Amino acid sequence: MAVETAAVMDPAGLKAIGAGLAVGLTGIASGIAERDIGSAAIGAMAENEALFGKGLILTVIPETIVIFGLVVALLIS
Amino acid sequence: MLKPKQMSRALIVGHKDLLEETIEVLHQINLFQIEDYIEDDSGLKIGKPIGKGDAISRSLIKIRSIASFLEVKDEPVKKQNASTLLRDLDSTLEKLDKEVSRKTETRSGLEARVKEIESLKKELLPFADIPLDLDLYRGYDNLSIFPGSIKGDIEGEISSITKSYELFSDHKSGTIVLFVPKIYTEDISMVLSDHGYRELKVPEQKGVPAEIISRIDAERTDLLRQIDGIDADIRALKDEYKEFILASNEVLSIEADKSEIPLHIATSESTFIIEGWVPSDSYNKIERAVSRATQDRVFVSQQEIEHEQESIVPVEYDNPKVVRPLQEIMNLYSRPRYKELDPTALIFISFPLFYGMILGDIGYALVLLTLALTVKKVVKSDAVKPLMNILIYCQISTFLFGILYGEFLGFPLAGVVSHGEIQAGLIPGFNTIDLLASPVGGEMITYPIHRNHLIMTMIVFTALVGLIHINFGYILGFINENRKHGISAALLEKGSWLIIQIGILLGVLGYLEVLRSEAVLYAGIAIFLVGFVMLLKGEGVKGPIELPSLLSNSLSYTRLIAVGLSSIYIASTVNMIAFQMIWPDKFGLMTVFAILVFIFGHALNAVLSIIAPGLHALRLQYVEFFGKFYEGGGRKYDPFGYIRKYTEE
Repeated sequence: MAVETAAVMDPAGLKAIGAGLAVGLTGIASGIAERDIGSAAIGAMAENEALFGKGLILTVIPETIVIFGLVVALLIS
Repeated sequence: MLKPKQMSRALIVGHKDLLEETIEVLHQINLFQIEDYIEDDSGLKIGKPIGKGDAISRSLIKIRSIASFLEVKDEPVKKQNASTLLRDLDSTLEKLDKEVSRKTETRSGLEARVKEIESLKKELLPFADIPLDLDLYRGYDNLSIFPGSIKGDIEGEISSITKSYELFSDHKSGTIVLFVPKIYTEDISMVLSDHGYRELKVPEQKGVPAEIISRIDAERTDLLRQIDGIDADIRALKDEYKEFILASNEVLSIEADKSEIPLHIATSESTFIIEGWVPSDSYNKIERAVSRATQDRVFVSQQEIEHEQESIVPVEYDNPKVVRPLQEIMNLYSRPRYKELDPTALIFISFPLFYGMILGDIGYALVLLTLALTVKKVVKSDAVKPLMNILIYCQISTFLFGILYGEFLGFPLAGVVSHGEIQAGLIPGFNTIDLLASPVGGEMITYPIHRNHLIMTMIVFTALVGLIHINFGYILGFINENRKHGISAALLEKGSWLIIQIGILLGVLGYLEVLRSEAVLYAGIAIFLVGFVMLLKGEGVKGPIELPSLLSNSLSYTRLIAVGLSSIYIASTVNMIAFQMIWPDKFGLMTVFAILVFIFGHALNAVLSIIAPGLHALRLQYVEFFGKFYEGGGRKYDPFGYIRKYTEE
């Protein structure tokens, strides 16, 4: 039987990984959500320029996801 | 402020003979917005254009096509007298039109010739190095000619078929011209097609190709020179007639507008009725002007605005000058409705406030302030000016928060003690002063506030800012709703949110250690339920579904710290790369490189610092704040009239 060597990971490293995942994954999620909304908003704006304000708002709504991610990352680290 | 300008509905009635004078005076005063008349069964008909409407439209089309051909742009020129301009307009326009069409015709003729020459040259080029007169390619009875391009050498194979041939070839371009007696045509064709022969068209010209090419090249240069000459003539025409074109376009547009007015109003056999809107404070002005122009023979009367007309009342902002740039932000979203609160003055405070809270850096404030002031000075456009003013407001706020945060281009101004060590700031000897211990996260609130050492406190604080801002929105919504649909609707739709929050607050307080009491807890739950039922009644099923938005909306305000921190980290990373990683011990090339990294890094971050805090601050207004009370969709107040730029009366 081989002697088991338990390698203890530095908790700071795990925290950093967690923080990175929180920002990275939520960033991807925001990106995916904004991609569809953004292209639709641009399409609508091409028809009617007055829709810029509404389009902008709809596009940035998923931005909150990554902000939450960033906040979580800040709380972890 | 907080309310659009008060409007009055006015009716102008008179005899048709006085219509022209009335239109003239309304146009001049530039305050009256005419409401289109829609024909109904009242017997009134839409009027017919007055004056020389057709002729004016024709001239207008002509002048606009000339303007677009000459590429006349809007630019400040000397103002012209409108009446003298109108007198000579037709003859000058005629002359200009003739000249322009002559120039365009000559130009297109020359251009066609240039194209012709270019395509001829393309045909001639393969034969350029074959010194044969083009005449020699034609008119044989017993000879076949193969002009074309080919790959490889074929002389050997041809000589195996016949000895009587003549071959001219240019190895560079692969062109050959082969003369053989007609009887060998088929055999030769076979050989040629094996070598990828492609026949070339012999141009219908006389003379040696090389000579022709040099001749037409000369002609082409000459033609191009002529075209340049015409272009210069056209530019001269533009300079000569620019003032005339701009001025007459304006005068004719005005005349066309006036002559078309009867198409928007109601007329009977001999009277006309103009209905429209005027700011209430200018009503008397209109009345007086119309009476004076028509010797009291046209009647102006003020009408009550009926409830169902409220949606079509044109909306004009009524804000102090300093707040006005923010109207652009309102327009970007949607103009307020007539009976609605105009929040321009509120975002005048909250937008720069949030922007400053996010950026909060003395260095960036100064850089961007300089940028905004320069752009405002250099660019004279009316569209850019309000945006630059908004940027200036934001930078003032950023500067103040910069002092509060003690930041300069990502460097902390004050030193900070952390874990027993002092991290020096930019100002030697200036260290943070402890003010009080923060209730969250075991952090110490200091002056200057170092955001990256106070993350927990700031997150809680910004969420609280959000909660206050949102509730302010609900209160405004209450006022709006009360104005539109009465107190009960306001209570059910907006008041319920406030009640729900009080309930939650009491419940949480009762549950927590601070104020542990079952009575408070149950009171909180009861109040919450009351609010919940009210919400259900006011908004239907949609209300409870939106309940969690209370939490997500106020947490959304944590971006005030989160986006700010990301900006700090970018800035301090640039500083670290420049001054700790690259900066050498001795002055040298690397010193220059470090300074370049510093400048470009901060330039990039400065640009990001317009976009990121700007968009996030804007979004907090549009989504979180406006969502609570604002509807928008008001109609723009666009009075009949014109602000003359190129002419004067």
